[in-house]
Amino acid sequence: MNFTITRQNLHSGLAAVSASIPSKTTLPVLSNILFEAREDGVWMSGTDLDVAVRVKVPADVKEQGSLTAPGKKLQEITRELPDQPVEVTTRGDQIELKCGRSHFKLNGLPAEEFPTLASVDFSDAWDVEGKDLHALIHHTSFAVSTEESRPILNGVLWELRDGEMRMVATNGHRLARMGIPAGTSGAPSADFIVPPAALQQVQRLFKDEDRLSVAKSGNHLGFRAERTEVFTRLIEGTYPNYDQVIPRDSDKLAIVDKKALESAVRRMAVVASDQTHRIRMMFEPGRVHLNVLTPDLGEGHDELEIGYDGEELEIGFNANYLLEVLRYMPTDEVKIAFKAPERAATMEPVPADGETIDYLCLVMPLRLLD
Amino acid sequence: MSTRRIHVLPDAVANQIAAGEVVERPASVVKELVENALDARATRIDIALEQGGRRRIRVSDDGTGMGREDALLSLDRHATSKITTAVELRAVRTFGFRGEALPSIAAVSRLTIETREAEEEAGTRIGVNGGGITGVDDAARQRGTTIDVRNLFFNAPARAKFLKSVAAETRAVSEVVTTLALANPRVAFTLTSDERTLIEVPRAGDVAARVAALWPGPEAGTLIPLSHSERGVEVLGLVQRPDVARPGLRRAHLFVNGRPFRSPAVVRAAERGYRTTIPHGARPWMFLFLEMGGGDVDVNVHPAKAEVRFREEGPVLEVVESAVRGTLQGDASSATFDAQLAAPVMAVREPRPATKPSADQMALFATASDQGEGGDAAGAQTEIAPVGRPRLWQALRTYIMAETRDGLLIVDQHSAHERVLFERLIRAFERGGQDGQRLLFPLTIRLTRAEYDLVEELGSLLARAGFEVEGFGGDTVIVQAVPNPHPYFDAERSFREMVHDLTNGSELSRSAKNQHERIASVFACKSAIKSGQKLDAREMQELFDQLFATELPHHDVHGRPTIVRLSTAELERRFDRSGTSHGG
Ligand SMILES: Nc1ncnc2c1ncn2[C@@H]1O[C@H](COP(=O)(O)OP(=O)(O)OP(=O)(O)O)[C@@H](O)[C@H]1O
Ligand SMILES: [Mg+2]
Repeated sequence: MNFTITRQNLHSGLAAVSASIPSKTTLPVLSNILFEAREDGVWMSGTDLDVAVRVKVPADVKEQGSLTAPGKKLQEITRELPDQPVEVTTRGDQIELKCGRSHFKLNGLPAEEFPTLASVDFSDAWDVEGKDLHALIHHTSFAVSTEESRPILNGVLWELRDGEMRMVATNGHRLARMGIPAGTSGAPSADFIVPPAALQQVQRLFKDEDRLSVAKSGNHLGFRAERTEVFTRLIEGTYPNYDQVIPRDSDKLAIVDKKALESAVRRMAVVASDQTHRIRMMFEPGRVHLNVLTPDLGEGHDELEIGYDGEELEIGFNANYLLEVLRYMPTDEVKIAFKAPERAATMEPVPADGETIDYLCLVMPLRLLD
Repeated sequence: MSTRRIHVLPDAVANQIAAGEVVERPASVVKELVENALDARATRIDIALEQGGRRRIRVSDDGTGMGREDALLSLDRHATSKITTAVELRAVRTFGFRGEALPSIAAVSRLTIETREAEEEAGTRIGVNGGGITGVDDAARQRGTTIDVRNLFFNAPARAKFLKSVAAETRAVSEVVTTLALANPRVAFTLTSDERTLIEVPRAGDVAARVAALWPGPEAGTLIPLSHSERGVEVLGLVQRPDVARPGLRRAHLFVNGRPFRSPAVVRAAERGYRTTIPHGARPWMFLFLEMGGGDVDVNVHPAKAEVRFREEGPVLEVVESAVRGTLQGDASSATFDAQLAAPVMAVREPRPATKPSADQMALFATASDQGEGGDAAGAQTEIAPVGRPRLWQALRTYIMAETRDGLLIVDQHSAHERVLFERLIRAFERGGQDGQRLLFPLTIRLTRAEYDLVEELGSLLARAGFEVEGFGGDTVIVQAVPNPHPYFDAERSFREMVHDLTNGSELSRSAKNQHERIASVFACKSAIKSGQKLDAREMQELFDQLFATELPHHDVHGRPTIVRLSTAELERRFDRSGTSHGG
């Protein structure tokens, strides 16, 4: 293997890939990056076995070949190199870098030891707009569960339907769901449960303007744009029937200024218990009262003018869940719907006239004991 | 005409009867004689036994001694130099006050008193046989008194019959001497039995040093000082670190106003202070010195003065419990890696103004004035609680390491979180309960019949713990809401395991004091962050802060430590850096 590459290209390639390398691993080859010099350029790959990233960078390839080399070290070296062409060659299992008068040799491992990346066949791929994917990921993936006994909930559900796609995530306490009328072509009707780590790579590596090809083979999903590929293992199993638990009979509606509510809740949260983060909301016509009473600490009270003409109702929430959900609401005003203190409350954006945003967050209340 | 049948007993007979109460066995003789020596402000007391004291008991002291007249008087019943009025009896700080011991012992033995006051030229020797004086002579000797008791119970065969083996009587004497040696650390003691030295302790600065001299084993290093004052009762002393408390034999010594006493109730109160910090059945060592107004305790209720009566026992027990509890809140109570713990250092109390001469023997501990009024336990200990925000890091996904001023703390994340959750739920129970997070997808859980019945029975308590459970028919329940103690909480597993433990009983659930504690400890155990859980910096900090905000941060709910200390001193010792030469 022998190729010459600009320092800039080498650096951006390494940066793209090395974020997918596990920082600690019992399998030494995983801390390496796989270099594959082909006619048309150099592919670099990294993986933690669940998610793999592959990028192609332009280079002047004199001799094709492949080798793996320590990712972090290469990245650190490249960062410090002068802005001159870098010649990369292999000598047995060593990789050699020459740049101006700098010269490095690093011990690598043969390419054969690198785990084979999921081979996703892109011949049945469908297309997705980068910005659509980004919007879905951004608005939902925060809600995945961190608790490991139900692996299904550790992933984001990605539903593809005719003319529409949706993502849903929940930890059983709150849920986020977003839908977009998809300009996808040739998409199957399917459900995937995608690890959030993979979606993070997708967010990081693809641009809004990119048009991505997505394909599934076996238990793997692949995302590809021009020079970048992300592969991920899918989480197996059936996602719980979330649609059934989204209330349709909420008869109390409040229209609230998002910023005002957010800052009121944030103020209240300071005094809330550090375990349940409980705040109480008392809705009455035209107004909501926020109350916190934490024994051993103190109490707080706040109120906001809101659009509400339903019955009086008091409901408790984990302030953190409310803040999270509010943070992702894309409009200045939000609509909160609820029915009873022990039932789910939902929050939706209030878009300008003529616009529709298919976004819904649901927060389960805290049971108020006193 | 009736004959008069009632008559006053001659002294000799009265003394023999009194002896029955005061003088039961050699150990009681030793106790009385040593107490007399202490009352005479001896600084060194030597006790020698032959044949467990049956044949001979000799107690010599370097105290004030007696003049000849006093020495003769001392053999009379109710002859005492220690009190003169009934009022003084209440405030009495000396061991003796009845003027009963010497005549009682003399009545049932062949006894010799040898004594000399500092001012007198010649000493006095008095021989007594079965209570009758057989001779009074001059005796050349140093200041002090030696009482030699031979042939105990030679004239009371019924009593002699009750004596146990030489070994048993020797053991009892040794116990008496140990107890009095604890109460008087500044006095040197030796006890020999048929030429064998059983106890030899030099004068010591404080109780801790005395304990270390009496028990040269590792235990002295596991004791932490206790000092607490509340409602007119001061409790000072030493108690064992919970992590080293074991079942089986232990030392529990109680003193009130310097006087040893027995009281299972007080020991139990102290053990209540240990609740949740030691495993079920563990018996911590304790040396507790109570100080209170003379009017609050009656020491004159037992012939051998082995028991006392508190004017109000309830409050005393409460103070003892909270004294121990308070000590266990302190940093010194945490487990440690340090192999060579110095015996705890205790400053010496300034002698209290006292009406009677020997009151300064109570001067054992740091006074309130050394530590601020009321001297709380924490103040007496080295500060290891981290100041500011120490850097925390996680080791083996199980331990949180922190650097403090005096070394390292190693915190077990699961145990620590257990303590946090336990106290939180206990406090929540006190005001209703803790919130339950309603679930989007309620849990459907199958239980055994017995478990189902338990859930039904405990339903309202479980609800107050945050678990909202509904019966579903058959043996299945639906859990609608669960507590949310941390982001990695597996509610279903926690609930199942809790119910299983509560139904089938576990050590933890058995050792609980009441239903609230039982549920809280089982909940804490099943819901705390597990070992193996990776924590980020913020989560570690939160756990750390929460732990140190609990009442007993150093102990989990199973009686295991949450924290193990590794002091700089110990590290230096291990790396052989203690010398300055190594410094650079
Ligand atoms: N070792 C001693 N040194 C100096 N004086 C002593 C000694 N032993 C006894 N006495 C004197 O003899 C008195 C009588 O002693 P005795 O033990 O009989 O009575 P007590 O100590 O006053 O009261 P109690 O019966 O409660 O012990 C004491 O009050 C004390 O004055
Ligand atoms: Mg006496």
